Parts: sequence; C-alpha cells; structure tokens
Amino acid sequence: MLAFFIDNMAPIMFLALVLFLLLGYPAAFSLGAVGLLFGLIGIELGLFVPDFLQALPERVYGVMNNDTLLAIPFFTFMGLVLERSGMAEDLLDTIGQLFGTVRGGLAYAVIFVGALLAATTGVVAASVISMGLISLPIMMRYGYDRRVASGVIAASGTLAQIIPPSLVLIVMADQLGRSVGDMYEGAFIPGLVLSCLYAFYVFLVTLVFPKATPGLPPEAVGFREANGGRGLTSLAILTVVSALFGWYRMRDSNTHGADFVVLTMFYGIMFAFAVAVLDWLIEKSFKVRVLSYIARQTTFVMVPPLFLIFLVLGTIFLGVATPTEGGAMGAVGALILGLLKRRLSFDLIRQAVQSTAKLSAFVVFILVGARVFSLTFYGVSGHIWVEHLLTSLPGGQVGFLLFVNAFVFVLAFFLDFFELAFIIIPLLGPAAEKLGIDLIWFGVILGVNMQTSFMHPPFGFALFYLRSVAPKEPYIDRVTGKKTDGITTGQIYWGAVPFVVIQVVMVVLVITFPAMVMHYKRGLSNVDPNKVKIDVPALDNLPPPDVQFNFK
Amino acid sequence: MLDGLLKSLLPLSRIIDSINAWLGRYLSWLILVAVIVSAGNATIRKIFDTSSNSWLELQWVLFGAVFLLCSPWTLMSNEHIRIDIVNNLMPRWLRGTIDMVGHAFFLLPLAIVMIVTGLPFFLRSFEINEQSGNAGGLPQWPSKGLIPLAFTLLFVQAISELIKRASIMRGLIPDPHENQQSTLEAEVDHLVDAIEKR
Repeated sequence: MLAFFIDNMAPIMFLALVLFLLLGYPAAFSLGAVGLLFGLIGIELGLFVPDFLQALPERVYGVMNNDTLLAIPFFTFMGLVLERSGMAEDLLDTIGQLFGTVRGGLAYAVIFVGALLAATTGVVAASVISMGLISLPIMMRYGYDRRVASGVIAASGTLAQIIPPSLVLIVMADQLGRSVGDMYEGAFIPGLVLSCLYAFYVFLVTLVFPKATPGLPPEAVGFREANGGRGLTSLAILTVVSALFGWYRMRDSNTHGADFVVLTMFYGIMFAFAVAVLDWLIEKSFKVRVLSYIARQTTFVMVPPLFLIFLVLGTIFLGVATPTEGGAMGAVGALILGLLKRRLSFDLIRQAVQSTAKLSAFVVFILVGARVFSLTFYGVSGHIWVEHLLTSLPGGQVGFLLFVNAFVFVLAFFLDFFELAFIIIPLLGPAAEKLGIDLIWFGVILGVNMQTSFMHPPFGFALFYLRSVAPKEPYIDRVTGKKTDGITTGQIYWGAVPFVVIQVVMVVLVITFPAMVMHYKRGLSNVDPNKVKIDVPALDNLPPPDVQFNFK
Repeated sequence: MLDGLLKSLLPLSRIIDSINAWLGRYLSWLILVAVIVSAGNATIRKIFDTSSNSWLELQWVLFGAVFLLCSPWTLMSNEHIRIDIVNNLMPRWLRGTIDMVGHAFFLLPLAIVMIVTGLPFFLRSFEINEQSGNAGGLPQWPSKGLIPLAFTLLFVQAISELIKRASIMRGLIPDPHENQQSTLEAEVDHLVDAIEKR
C-alpha cells in the first residue's frame, strides 16, 4: 500500500489538486496547500530531506524578481485607463458610420475596431462593453440578427488576447521560457488572419442570410457634404497617399514583418494627421476645405490608437523598450490621452490603481501557489511522469498537438487563462520541446485556443461583459420610437458558437501552416542586451537542484 | 458560549480588516510609481544611452510590495480567484464550511511555513547587508523582508476571516459578501458610468 502510494505520488498529487480546486477555495492557496501537504508527507516518508521547505522563500523571491511579470500590472493599468478615455467609443462611432451602409457594415466595423483596440492594449478589454453600448443598439435598431450581432461583439473583444501586445502572450512566453518579442512577432500574422476569418464569416452571413445583417439606410449615417455626397473619395485618396508616404519613408529600412507594418502605419497616420490639421487651419482662415468631413474625422479618431500602437509595439520592435517597459510606455500614453481628452480624474486613477493592485495580487499569488506546488510535484518527479505521458502519445508531433489542444479546449470551459498558464503550460512546454516543437509556434497555437476560454458559454468573460450591458427587457428605441425586443442570454450563447468554431479552425490552420508563426526567426530585433544590464536568471522554471532530494 | 467568544473576537477582526484595507488602498498607488519609473527607464536609456540598475530593480521592489502586501486586502474583499463551477451549486452552509476549512487548513499552514522559512531567509540577508548581484543595484534584504511581512499579514487576515465566517454561520453578523458584486461587475458598472457620461 505504502509502496504503491510512493510509486504513484505524482498522479495522486495531481488528482488531489483537481479535487481541492473543484471545492472552490481560492486557487492560489489550494495550490500552495497541496504542495505543502505532499511536501510534508514526502519528508515523513523520507522522500525529501527535512529542510526541503527552505527552498520556498527563494521561489517567492524568484517571482518578485521576474521582469516579465511586471507587464501584468502595466498592461492592466493601461487597459483600465484607456477604457475610460473614450477612444473606443469615438472609433466605433466614426468607423460605424463609415462602413454602416454596406450590408454587414456595422459588423465589419466592430471587427475592425476590435482588432485595432487589440493592437493597442493587452487585456480583454472592455472593448466589449463599449461595443455593447454603442454598436449593439444601432445593430438592433436596424434589424441585425441578435445572435450574429452579439457573437461578433464578444469575439472581436477577445482579439486582444492574441494580437500583440497581449498579456496572454507575455505570460505564455514567460512560462515557456521564450522571449516576449519573438512571441509577438509570431502571433502578429495569426492575429490578423483570425480577424479576417471573423470578417469572412460576416461576409458569408450577408450572402446566405442577407436579412441578418442589413446595411443602414443612408439617412442613418452622418458626415454629409454640402452637395449631399458622403465624401468617401476624399477619404480614399487620403488613405492611399498616406500609405504611400509611409511606404516611401520605410522603403530603405531593414525592418520586416510586424515591425514594418507598425512603423509604416505610424508614418502614414502622422502624414494624414498633418494634412487634416492643415486642412482645418485653411478652412478656419479662408473658408476653403479640401478634405471631406468624414476623411478628417476618420483621421482624427485613428490618431490616438495608432499613436498608442507605436508607443507600445513600436518601441518594443525598435528595441527601445523591453515588452515590460512597452506596457509602462502605453500606460503613460493612455494617461496623456485621457488628460488631453479631459476624461481623467483623481477618482478614475484611484479606481484604476486599486483594481490593478487587486488583480496583480490574485494573479501573482496563483503563480506563487503554483511554484509551491511544483516544488513538491517536481520533487516526486511529477514533471517526468507528465512528460512521459505526453511524449508517449501516438502520432508524434501531430498527435501531441491534437491531444493537447483538445485538452486545453475542454479545460478552458472551467479554468481562467491565468490558471491554465501557471499550472498547465509549464507541464506541457518540456514535452513539446522534446518532440521538437518550436515553443513560439506552440505558444501561439495555445494562445488562439485559450482565446475560447473568454467566449465559452456560460462563463466566458466576454459573454459576461456583453450580458451586463445588453438590454434584457424589451425597450423603446430612442431614434425610431419602436418597441424593440431585448437580447436573451440564449441568443448571446448561440451567437458565440460560430466564433468558437472559427477558433478551432484557426488552431488547425496554425498547426497546418507553421510558416505563419515561424517568420519570427527572420527578424530578431530585441533590446540590445548590453544596454539592459540585468539578466534575469532563468532559474524560475527549473526544478530545484537535485541535491535537495534524498530518494531512497 | 461559542457565540460569546466570537462576539469578543469580532472587534479584533475589525481592527485587522481596517489595517489591511488601509495598507492595500495606499500601497496600490505604487503601481502608478512603478509605471512612471519603468517608462522613465526606457526613455532615459534611449535618449542618454545610460541606465541604472537601481532604477530597474526599484520597479521590481515596487511591484513585489504591491502584489504581496495587497494580497490580504484582496482576500478580505473575497477577490482571490476561485473555480466556482461546483461551488456555485453547493448550499450556503457548505460553501461557508469549505471556506472555514480552507482558511484553517490550507491558508494558515501555508502562511506559517512561509513565515518560519521566510524570516531566516530575510535575517541571513539582513545580517550581511546583502547587495544586489547587479552592479549598482539595490540591497536585497528589504525585498526579502517583504516575504515574511506579507505572510504575517495574510496570517492575521486569515484569522479575521475565520472569526467573521464563524460569526456569519452563527448568525451573529450579516454576510458582507452575500450580495457582493464581483470585481468584474463593479468594473462593468464603473465603465458604463464613464461611457454614458460622455
């Protein structure tokens, strides 16, 4: 009996963890307690030397000195400030009017703005809330299918999880022991492809069920010229010229991939902004106007997000800032933006720092708990047990990837991203590496997969956010005066299903076409290590040195 | 008898709560300080081509202080993340019991072990005035000292939670978290306010 217990301590420990977690006591402390309990049992049974537990403070200290984890509070804080700056609402208003009259136009606008906001910030923002408050009522007013409308909004909000500078990618890179910059480069194209898949789905809906996504009647959109036209030609010309300017400015640079796109967009928007300001000044003094209203307005709303993208991603890709510092730069940028728009108050900042502090505390404590757990778990060779289980799966790399993805997909129904990342990922990484799987590729695949944890009914955060702002009861529409039905929770759940399917398709695509990710190897532009003096010791993820164990 | 004991302990619980909430509320501002320090580091490195290990290490110490010392406050606000899929289906008394058992047999022992091992860890460092391994860095003992300090605060907060939970189950005080908005819900409310004020 005892021999059986000792031989199977790792599986027993894992089962105990599952049981304890399911009881619903805070995960951080359950993890720590299981680690401690089995550590004490191990000492009692003579598996560990008695001062085995002395390694615990060192593990907590390792978490404190982890530069990458600092990105968690920085990006969270940035997201919280940005959400209140009104940037998302301005974008949704303008882009919605721009695309509105096209069939499915509002849905495309939501996806476009979702992707743009995702490239600005790293948290599943409450861009879902902005969309739920601004775009959803308009969609309902003009008779969008409620499932399509709510699905598009929830899914577009989760794009923040996979498009850099995503917090998910940062934590994933940390847990897999890879560079965050590489993870960003690798995830950039899959993130764009995924946004295109969402748009393609909307396109299919407009073909098959034209009534589900009607275009807005012309009188519903603003920004009219004196002659009644919409001034789209002017916008198109400005866009093309700005893009050419950006390209011309960048033609000799040796950047490529994500860096190139980010910098070109930055130069392009600076050019368009200069033109728009000039045009505005000319109109002030000479009453002559070159640009249409919509061209000018679109330029003005696009400046803040593109500026922030440059501030965060641009500085990271240019090698000016580490990913962590990029988060801090973004946070400062968001504060400046809020100040300029006069949306910042002492109360707002206080709310933001307090929410950030609590979130950091519970997230990092999950990691602290996981470290305590892994000290014992690795001590009883649990990592070898898991690695053996995973590497002995039939089908080699593909079999492993299929199994792991199915496993994570199911777990994502119950577990939060951070729990998955701190408990599961460290166990999967070594096995993947042993099978010759590139860990950046692996991380991006899992990132796309885990995005579903935000839209899985019934606990997905994005669905939760949408539910809290979507009308439940029938209401009288402000504009048309007609009675409009609310949205049922069932409609929100069903709306998410096609997007969960798209996520699965995307996982398969990334597995089938690794080149989407692997191009990161071409451009390794990170901060010059000679300038950042500190090298964070990579000890964090390693098992404790063998000398501490006393196997008999 | 038990009720009398609990009643006499409730003031203690209130004192603990107010200390930890006060600490948490003020320390959370260190996030803003860390943001400014970190953005400043990157900017100064770019412009003046120089960097200081003290300033780099300072952001870690600030973050360490925030997440460690705000944890008791987070526990008090019932915001440490749980897997509530099964928990939500349980009757209230069972959930209360699980919390009591968890505080008593998971959290308290964990905190004790951390204090018992963390204190010598800190003292060893303090006695030799241990400096950073990076040239020009900060001394290490202050941040090492945060570990036993944080788990001491967590320990007393767990005691306070036990007193409160027992009192709630005996019907002595109302459950402060009964109609609690989760952090998420509170966030949503703040945001909707902010957006509708436009």
